[in-house]
Amino acid sequence: MNKTGADIILETLAREGVEVVFGYPGTNCLPILDRMSDSPIKHYLVRHEQAAAHAADGYARATGKTGVCLSTSGPGATNMVTGIATAYMDSTPLVALTAQVTSDLLGSDAFQETDIIGITMPITKHSFLISRVEKIESKLQEAFEIARSGRPGPVVVDLPIDVVTAQYEGTVKKKPTFAKKKAARGREIETKVREIARRLNEAERPIIMIGGGIKLADACMPVSELIEKGRLPFVTTMMGIGSVHSPNGFNLGFIGTHGSELANRAVHQADFILAVGTRFSDRSTSKIEQFAPLATIAQIDIDATSIGKNIKSDIALVADIAEAVRGLTPLIEKKQRSAWMDRIATERAQIEEKHLSNGFGQVASFIGAVQGIMGEDAIAVADVGLNQIWTLRSWRSNTPRGLLTSGGMGTMGFSLPAAMGATVGSPDRAVIVFTGDGGFFMNIQELATISYYNLPVKVIVFNNGHLGMIRQFQDLFYDARFNACKLGDKADITAIGQGFGIPSEKVTLADAITAIERMKQAAGPYLLEVFVDPDNYVYPIIPPGGSNIEMIYGRPK
Amino acid sequence: MLVRNRSGVLSRVAGVFGRLGYNIESLCVAETINSRISRITLVSRANADFTDKIKKHLDRLVDVIEVTELKQEHSIQRETILMAVTLTPDNRRDVMQAVDMYGCKIVSIRDDYCIIENVANRGETQTILNYFKPLGIEELARTGLIALRQIQQDAGEEQ
Repeated sequence: MNKTGADIILETLAREGVEVVFGYPGTNCLPILDRMSDSPIKHYLVRHEQAAAHAADGYARATGKTGVCLSTSGPGATNMVTGIATAYMDSTPLVALTAQVTSDLLGSDAFQETDIIGITMPITKHSFLISRVEKIESKLQEAFEIARSGRPGPVVVDLPIDVVTAQYEGTVKKKPTFAKKKAARGREIETKVREIARRLNEAERPIIMIGGGIKLADACMPVSELIEKGRLPFVTTMMGIGSVHSPNGFNLGFIGTHGSELANRAVHQADFILAVGTRFSDRSTSKIEQFAPLATIAQIDIDATSIGKNIKSDIALVADIAEAVRGLTPLIEKKQRSAWMDRIATERAQIEEKHLSNGFGQVASFIGAVQGIMGEDAIAVADVGLNQIWTLRSWRSNTPRGLLTSGGMGTMGFSLPAAMGATVGSPDRAVIVFTGDGGFFMNIQELATISYYNLPVKVIVFNNGHLGMIRQFQDLFYDARFNACKLGDKADITAIGQGFGIPSEKVTLADAITAIERMKQAAGPYLLEVFVDPDNYVYPIIPPGGSNIEMIYGRPK
Repeated sequence: MLVRNRSGVLSRVAGVFGRLGYNIESLCVAETINSRISRITLVSRANADFTDKIKKHLDRLVDVIEVTELKQEHSIQRETILMAVTLTPDNRRDVMQAVDMYGCKIVSIRDDYCIIENVANRGETQTILNYFKPLGIEELARTGLIALRQIQQDAGEEQ
């Protein structure tokens, strides 16, 4: 029987362990879809290609596997751009398959033609335009290899329809050889690790800084062991939340613009910081000149460009984090460092007092109640904005894949489709979306997807009738000159949810428990519209241009 | 840089410079002995910090095999230029003398016009261009530098 390019695509996907594809068809896509009907790979039809990319991204973040999305050419492909950029900024392993017009027509402005490779060059790790059917298998394999190796990232594979429908006789079974990028190995790691161990043991006020990279490197366990052995207090970045669960209270929270004050103050006073799997984004460091002014910084990362990019690291090690940390832990001494630990405890107590006098308590209690009822194992997917910060600060994540959010790109509308991907990938864990009304409307059409497939996604919409964070910024830093931040209340979110076939109800922060119980009992999707006062902001925050320790609790004087 | 000879690789390399906001002054690319590998020789102006940064970014590209900075002292560098120079009764003698002096080659000539070829390193090329400019260069084509690491004369010799 003659195989076509489409057959090879499906076979290769199956061999790479792909079980689901999120996509949206178009005519140039049909040959692939046709073969997919006969394969074990399941296609989830979304309602907008951007959601296909976000769903594949959410799937990857929840499972650690490579997410796959499929769109047609032209507008289908361009619709995925935001989703691909989101995955790129957070280093998610993703393979985006885009159908393409027939090779002869390339460059002729054909119907639904676009140079998606050109468009996505700056936001992909790599991309392939497959020009011959014999090349499909090797290029597709290489795409997956690139997506998940080293620092993961999205890869676009553009598939012209003539290549996909061409017949192919050969049996290319040998794995293509890729020139592996050089990361530090053996002896070089040893030397640097010994240096790091020496400095860490000598340090009086050390902090471990954990980024999203350690879960990508499967290094959560080794880092956790390092922390417990050395009795080392640690902070995380937004992307690192949940990576290490410390029963001994070494977790000081996440740092940065919207982070925990304790974490920021501890970093500010540290004399040695070991940073693993983080790129020191501006969100984490705030004003660079005033970031960790007293600390010697050691950095371990698989990606050389992340080292010394924003912060000059005194010791730099380009290596696999798991390997490096496993070599480091035996050299670390268990130290009491009581002066440092006491200082941290004092700061913690002072900050807690400050928090008690804040109106933030209600939202925090609500989120806590949701977690209490839905279970520790539930995955929270946060959108972007006030809702995101409330969630990040209140949701207790003890697993690296328990709290998903768009950190690097800050893409509104990410949460709903990403949650779809998360629940498809982790059907045994509850999945809860926390979003504001702004982000909710951006991919609202996915309520139809959720409803159609009966995906048990629990959607919580914090409705304050505004783009909350914009409102806060305009209120605090633009003399309350509000513009383009009010969404209004004409749209009835609960009615909309019901209109999509999803049981929905309105609640207030104060009176939500029974509704949350109903949400938990529901076998399928559920939506809670939670009314929040638009004056309910996020505190403390760092004003624009401020340093990590200049957190404010109210309007600047 | 040594790169895999695949479509798009040049775009990506140029893209890295563009994204970081730096200008490529010249770029020369061709296949090596192995037709699957190409050599790109690229000149850009930058300080040490940036050079380090750009090397890392280029190295990260999937199709880039190797990136090396070639300093003038440690490499053989050459550039071919073709100059179309107008010939007038006034400048004819000066042009011929210059060609002689610098060892250039006239590869095409007419009454009023000639094309002069020269191969030299960066400094010499610039000297020649400076000299010919007032004489009247109509058109100029440059390949940009190509370079190979200089051969070490002695095993123990310091580079």
